[in-house]
Amino acid sequence: MTTKQSMVTVEEFMDDPIAYFGESLTQMHSIPRDELEELQRQAMAIRFDQHRQSIELVGKLADRLGVTVLDEFNDVVPLFFSHTAFKSYPAALVDNKRFDLMTKWLGKLTSHDLSKVDTNGCNGIDDWIDRLDEQTPLEVITSSGTTGTLSIIPKDKHGAREGMQLWKICLFQTFGTEPTFEQLNPAVEVIWPNYAKGKLGHLRIANMIKQGFTGNDERKFHALYPDAIDTDLMFLASKMRAAASRGELDRLVIDPALAARKDEFIAMQARQPEDLDNFFTTIAEKLRGKRVFMIGTYGLMYDVAKAGLERGISGVFAKDSAILTGGGNKGAVLPDDYMDVIHEFLGVDRIQEGYGFSEQSAFHWACSEGRYHVQPWVIPFVLDPDTSEPLPRTGRQTGRAAVYDVLLKAHWGGVISGDEVTIDWDLHCPCGQTSVAFEHDIIRYSEKQGVDDDRITCAATHEVHNEAVNFMKAFES
Amino acid sequence: MSGAYTVPLFLRGEVITDDLVTFGTRSGATRFQAPDMARYVEQLPLPTPMAMADLNDVGFDEILDVLEALGNALTFDTNPHLQEAYEAAVLANPLPPDMLKNSYQILPPLFTRANVLELAETQVGLDYLNGWVPHALADGRELRVRAFGSRVVHIPAGNGGLVSAVTILRSVITRCDAIIKAPSNDPLTAVAIARTLADVAPGHPITKHLAVAYWKGGDAAIEERLYRPEHVEKIVAWGGLASVKHVTRYIQPGLEMIALDPKRSATIIGREAFGDDETMREVARRAAVDIGVANQEGCANARVIYAMTGTDPTGIANANKLGELIYEELVRLPAFISTPPPQPNRELYEHVEASRMTEDFYQVIGGEQREGAVIVSQFDSPVDYSAMLSGRVANIVPVDGIDKVTEAVTAYTQTIGIYPESLKHELRDTLPLFGAQRLTSLGYACSVPIAAPQDAIEPMRRMCKWIVEETCDPDVVIPLWRLGEAAAQV
Repeated sequence: MTTKQSMVTVEEFMDDPIAYFGESLTQMHSIPRDELEELQRQAMAIRFDQHRQSIELVGKLADRLGVTVLDEFNDVVPLFFSHTAFKSYPAALVDNKRFDLMTKWLGKLTSHDLSKVDTNGCNGIDDWIDRLDEQTPLEVITSSGTTGTLSIIPKDKHGAREGMQLWKICLFQTFGTEPTFEQLNPAVEVIWPNYAKGKLGHLRIANMIKQGFTGNDERKFHALYPDAIDTDLMFLASKMRAAASRGELDRLVIDPALAARKDEFIAMQARQPEDLDNFFTTIAEKLRGKRVFMIGTYGLMYDVAKAGLERGISGVFAKDSAILTGGGNKGAVLPDDYMDVIHEFLGVDRIQEGYGFSEQSAFHWACSEGRYHVQPWVIPFVLDPDTSEPLPRTGRQTGRAAVYDVLLKAHWGGVISGDEVTIDWDLHCPCGQTSVAFEHDIIRYSEKQGVDDDRITCAATHEVHNEAVNFMKAFES
Repeated sequence: MSGAYTVPLFLRGEVITDDLVTFGTRSGATRFQAPDMARYVEQLPLPTPMAMADLNDVGFDEILDVLEALGNALTFDTNPHLQEAYEAAVLANPLPPDMLKNSYQILPPLFTRANVLELAETQVGLDYLNGWVPHALADGRELRVRAFGSRVVHIPAGNGGLVSAVTILRSVITRCDAIIKAPSNDPLTAVAIARTLADVAPGHPITKHLAVAYWKGGDAAIEERLYRPEHVEKIVAWGGLASVKHVTRYIQPGLEMIALDPKRSATIIGREAFGDDETMREVARRAAVDIGVANQEGCANARVIYAMTGTDPTGIANANKLGELIYEELVRLPAFISTPPPQPNRELYEHVEASRMTEDFYQVIGGEQREGAVIVSQFDSPVDYSAMLSGRVANIVPVDGIDKVTEAVTAYTQTIGIYPESLKHELRDTLPLFGAQRLTSLGYACSVPIAAPQDAIEPMRRMCKWIVEETCDPDVVIPLWRLGEAAAQV
């Protein structure tokens, strides 16, 4: 099998799937299952071999477990990272501004060389991320947790560009028809129902979208709040939650650099109602009937739709607009008719749903049947939720989602999620796509167990931001 | 639906198993049934405060007799109620069977005359419990004080049978009327003790002033009807924030809360521990017990262990050595004290595994089979997930001085196990300022005395109503009316 020609094939598949599949959504999800799995197996082995050399932690873990080659899909499972791998640095490093050590820590999680990064005088997380942006191929994203640490995932600029291209392919094409020039080069205004900028998780995507969908044209990018959200402030919020849960709020020390910006944050908070009005004025007066791309979680979409309808705005965008939502309800309780409310406000033909987590290269798009079809460069797994042992790749299996994403080059692609998913491995989806699919109902295990979710979800960002500002208001520096 | 069982309502001597509804347990898999308290809640409180009279009249010797008989009857091997409670706890509780059985086997000695007398005398005062204690005040009046029982609802924690037993013991000694809301992770122990009481003292006022019921904590349909000043005077709430929060909304004048909040404990090991191998081994053995007892499910267990080794290379090496020794001792503990946890916390182990890969900052010893682990910080801060430590996972933190330790002692800190004694003596006037509530010799953190204050309060004195009767002789205590006359004459 491993003739010279097929090696070239595998490498194109794993390094540039967009070209490999001719920029076609239809081709991506029409490849026969056997053929795809053979490609995936070979790609997995090659990527592992690369990452074992280039990512220190992958090499160490493989050495410790005695893994030298990957033959079968399940061979990769012991090498999976959980979300904790991306937040295993001591939070004290940030408090003490040891961004040299933070860089060293991150350097062990990425295939890029970070040894030359200059962190001299670095005064916060945002500053540090700027340095990484300037000095390395990385474009890291962060998320947040309540243990007082932020996860930091070493994504790179190449991945960001590729990701946006993949989004466009999935958003504007229809399965079953080859793409037109217009679909490959769609002209849209972007609606971003969130803070305009920020290094925090999903906010980082704002810039990627602006670049990918408008060619960096500010006039075509419409954010709910024009301000940037500050990662250091979010880090403080995260530490506050952790401190509150340990009864240590009285011991929390606020970084003077952040405290000095207190008034700025308070003013930003005070402007929010006005920002919200401006946002809807823009939508009603300038964007009515326009073709847009809008992305947000179910909760965020619902809140915006409800606020819009309350202002008498409905059916506002062009029918062929691209709307992407997902993220589960993530703990937010939405009314049963939330999708109707969103539809009524937007007035578009279709609302697309995606499933994914930040450690992956792209979302998996829901088909006409509501199943999330796994992108061909991603190998899905269903694991026993407690032991993480892989469940059989036959029949209908429910368990913990895990993936190995062969497209990821900057960081290790094997991750275990916190989500309960179902895959029917033998299903030939009536939608016509040949790819394996996650069933529509996905729930976080933490929600299922009624435990407080560890993550600050997109929907809660606004709230958590205000929580931190309120704390700073009360704080006498 | 395997292992379904029934949690009866114990209503002042009567055992009720009608009108059953189904509940889940904390571990999720098993379920149990209990009478629908919406139907019985009106019968839980006393119909009138006057109904306390019969309990008030019971002499203390009689209390001693009844409790002694109860203790004798609480022999696990011969008591079917306890055996049934044990079977239920095995299903409902994350602790392994041997440990749960042990938690019942330690019950009888609690009820001996000597123990009851010590508890009554030190935690309230027998004179106050049994009569009016006279005092003369500086203004000349004669004061007499007596501790009366109250009408109390108890919401005990469910980790082991001890908490339910102590709750009943405290109630009987203080002549309180007790309504116990059984915990879902130990639904039957309180009922089992109550039924045993009904067996040894049928119709006795002590039996008639005890009720045990299960309802889901926070069920407003029940709690709104019960938590009222006309029904109860005090609520003793153990356990998590959720259970305490459910209660606080009902607190008002006439209804007070005695909160025995969830706590965490810490350990401090002084430089002396690292003097020679033998001492280090002994210290490791003691620390392992503080970590391991009942699989670190309790508030008194050791979790973060501050080692005053210093943070230079020698200090870090000593901390690592101590970690190795503690781990060895930990896995060697006998099964009735500690075992690999049957339900290890997955989230915790995800963090432990991440720390294992972060060698610059942490050294992880053990834990590959989720049997328990020791994480040694290679610098002077605990792991960021220290609040999650459970199932025999401890974190050793090398420090240069005591400041790093006091930083970590907060209002949520209960016990601090300390080695050696001289260090404890040195720290005892400082640590309480930060929040520590109990300082004890290393190795005794989980051997919690009952005849002592708990969580920096005195729950038994708080359970009592402290009533004052005073006599004022106008010739001694200058009365206001004479002051009035004197003023008029001026």
